[in-house]
Amino acid sequence: MKKTAWFLVVLAATALFAADKALVVQVLRTRLLAQPDFLSASLCPLQKGNRLELLEAQGSWYQVRSAGGVKGFVHSSAVMESRVTLGGIAPGPKGASQDELALAAKGFDEGNEKKLRNSTGYNFADLGWVMEQEVDVPALARFVRDGRLK
Amino acid sequence: MKRLLPVVLLCALLVSWKPPVSLSKIKKAKKGVELVSGAAHKINEEEEYHIGRAVAANILGQYPLWKNGALTRYLNLVGRSLALRCQRPETYGGYHFALLDTAEANAFSAPGGIIFLTRGIVEMAADEDELAAVLAHEIQHIVARDPLKAIRSQRLKALGTFTAGEAVGSGGGALGVFQDSVMDISGTLLQKGYSRGQEKSADLGALDLLAVTGYDPGALRDMLEKIRAVEKKKVKAFSAHPSAARRIAYVSGSAGPAGGRNGREARGARFRQALARR
Repeated sequence: MKKTAWFLVVLAATALFAADKALVVQVLRTRLLAQPDFLSASLCPLQKGNRLELLEAQGSWYQVRSAGGVKGFVHSSAVMESRVTLGGIAPGPKGASQDELALAAKGFDEGNEKKLRNSTGYNFADLGWVMEQEVDVPALARFVRDGRLK
Repeated sequence: MKRLLPVVLLCALLVSWKPPVSLSKIKKAKKGVELVSGAAHKINEEEEYHIGRAVAANILGQYPLWKNGALTRYLNLVGRSLALRCQRPETYGGYHFALLDTAEANAFSAPGGIIFLTRGIVEMAADEDELAAVLAHEIQHIVARDPLKAIRSQRLKALGTFTAGEAVGSGGGALGVFQDSVMDISGTLLQKGYSRGQEKSADLGALDLLAVTGYDPGALRDMLEKIRAVEKKKVKAFSAHPSAARRIAYVSGSAGPAGGRNGREARGARFRQALARR
């Protein structure tokens, strides 16, 4: 009994240490960058929920390591600190995270957005066109350089 | 040996342990983002994105979209150049900039970073720096999460009383609150306007954002002078904003950052080129 208690204490401590350095991507899509600069080379794409190991904070930027072992930078606005959870060793609700539960409780979600699609006064078709207008990074970098911007 | 297991594990843990990045450093890095979130911080990034999409769809239900691909691309290049340098460069769904086909001079920012400029305000701008000044002001509203602050507190309190089942189920409770929240924001953007304090912060923040991006901060004053001239003619322009005269007073009163004049002429040339594609 004593041994099991010891074992759980050590596991919990390990989880706490690991969680202390973990970040989670909180935006739909972002990129792991070679430098703390949005116009620097992209090392790999990141998406919501990807976990990153925090190596160092540099101003508004974090130097991190991806799950695939790639070292690079993300901006602090793209990530949040990983919550300390003992989900692996303690019983609890499976699946939904605290954030997902909070979201479900509030209802500001895709489900309610879909219900609005048929309401008068909303034009989601044109919104789709707006959201499709992408600008790639090389074009943006050229635009910044040609306009003598920073 | 079994008795030693916890000790062995503890030793392994200590050997592998590296000093964690201090919490104060993380907090410092997040400072710019969190300080500005104010009372609206309880709505997370994803919720902001969904309510922002609904507000944007509501604006597009009231104003026709100007589907000019080339000009919209140019607008996105200017807007994203600024967004990269703001205090909140990444939002859940990213920044998107679009044009509304109306002669009324106005600009609106929906939660999460969907920003609309009217044809009237684009045609009022003399060059790229003046266009950037309008965009910088709207981006500052996103940074400060001002649109979310337009949601009446009773809505969020009401949401707290629903169970998760009611919120995601077919009952109209949470949907009703969602719709009411959209209306709160749209009403503020299109009619009521933000508080004078919010507008002043957005203007002063815009001066800094223009400077840090390399645009001429003086372009904001230039643009406000144009809006004042239009207001004198009693033409509808930025109707949900404080008067241009008031805004000019505090923009001029601010010491403000200098610079950005370098290259303004060259940027003006590409602005005229982009507008020629109308």
